[in-house]
Amino acid sequence: MNIKNGDILEKLNPADTFTLAMDEEIRRDGLAGSYGCFALELSNLPDIIELQQRITEFSQRFPVTQASLQQINRHFYWCKRNDPPQLFFQHLCPEDRNEEDFQQKIISDIINHKQAREISAPIEFHLLTGLKKHILFTRWLHPYCDARGVELILKYLCTADEAQRRQFGLPDTGPLVNVQLGKYRWWQKIGLLLKGKRYIGILDSLESIQPFHSDLPPERLNYMIQRLSEAQTEQALRQARQTVGLAGTSLYYIGCLMRALEKMHPDNPGEAYCAPYAFNLRKQRALAPVTGNHLSALFAQAPRAIVQDRQKLFAHLKQQNAQVIRQQLDYAFLPLMWAGAWLSLAEYGKTLRLSYGSGKERSSFWFSDVGRLDIPADSFPGAGINGVYHVCQVTAPPGLAFLNCIYRNRLTLSYNFVEPLGNSAQIELLHQFMLAELLGEGE
Amino acid sequence: MKKKLRNFIFQELVFVAEPEQFSDDDNLLEAGLDSMGIMRLIMFIENEYGVTLPDTEIEPDNVQSFNALEQWILRHQNG
Repeated sequence: MNIKNGDILEKLNPADTFTLAMDEEIRRDGLAGSYGCFALELSNLPDIIELQQRITEFSQRFPVTQASLQQINRHFYWCKRNDPPQLFFQHLCPEDRNEEDFQQKIISDIINHKQAREISAPIEFHLLTGLKKHILFTRWLHPYCDARGVELILKYLCTADEAQRRQFGLPDTGPLVNVQLGKYRWWQKIGLLLKGKRYIGILDSLESIQPFHSDLPPERLNYMIQRLSEAQTEQALRQARQTVGLAGTSLYYIGCLMRALEKMHPDNPGEAYCAPYAFNLRKQRALAPVTGNHLSALFAQAPRAIVQDRQKLFAHLKQQNAQVIRQQLDYAFLPLMWAGAWLSLAEYGKTLRLSYGSGKERSSFWFSDVGRLDIPADSFPGAGINGVYHVCQVTAPPGLAFLNCIYRNRLTLSYNFVEPLGNSAQIELLHQFMLAELLGEGE
Repeated sequence: MKKKLRNFIFQELVFVAEPEQFSDDDNLLEAGLDSMGIMRLIMFIENEYGVTLPDTEIEPDNVQSFNALEQWILRHQNG
């Protein structure tokens, strides 16, 4: 593609470039790329015409939705395309096919579809329909937006009133990573950068335990969704509050998963579990920014001996988190992302993934707590929303990403694993341990 | 005190379309204050008011509104 200045719509912000480096790493591992997915399980066939109209309206309001990702010199940009990509797809289950199998196959194909990132549409909406089950499956390329952004996009599609839809994207603040970085003078940025580097250096003194023990090359992403009942969800949240308090719900999920992994594979080599997790820079309930990534990252790490003691583990994670926020280490990742954007994707990816100490993978698993979703169940055009879940690609190793959200008072757990490093039987077992931990029955 | 808390929460943590309409008794948790936000808020309070808020007291009754937050801080300032 021959790019002229007028073709450039937007430069990737440092957090976008961070997700792009991960996209590159996932592709280098032989997988599709850093795609995130968000499924809305619908009660019946929706109003397809209305849905399509809102998708079209949305893509016109936010032109990056139809852009192509291009590299110009060192940096990456969203650029106009000559032919806008198709954003909406329908998949109707043939009458003679089992609906569940058909939809699972389609979803698996969507998340594993390999396509050059320049060609890939930033976001696609797939409507899977059958006699009983209907799903709107949204897949996005991570530099286009983050999970909160997709929640906003779906909320946009679920907003009937046009005047209210116009409020999305306002106020136009630009990338929040840049807003936050703009608060620091250059010497403060460097100070934070060094602080962040030292912090990661300390984490790297312990070798991370990997969830799977396999030498087989990665082939494809699979996933397993587990939904807790309302009573189980209430019990898990009560446990979370008692164990880590109101300020540490995400840490509860992380700690439970560390313990579940340890119970599953107590002999896997390594010294500590280490989980990176992003936190969003948007204000809660804000309708902007919609596109782009607006996040920074933190790590939770716990040595194996501590993970084996439930009480000690949560006290440790809580103390670690409080210290990180007190020392502003949560914001230290911003200048690291800003500096990383000047590296080649390969160098950046290596820096992000590999421990300075052992040279091995730093993350034991990827984690994202999407929280309580704010999309009314009766707001989708022509259909109710029965449930939601997320799926995401992950590098291999670690080959495991755990995502959770709460919708209609039910906690939904999404285990994303790279085959053949992990398999469904292992994940089923992992879930049994995880459930016991969440419910406080894992002593 | 409440003015500073309002500025911090509405500028950094929670989006409210009309902050002036949000009363000191309105529910901050329902408005979207989440666990990460609470953590940041506590760090802000500890730096700003020189108090230490015990982990064991981080519960809805103490953080659910501006009035509740003020009472919580005052209890520790006076204690």
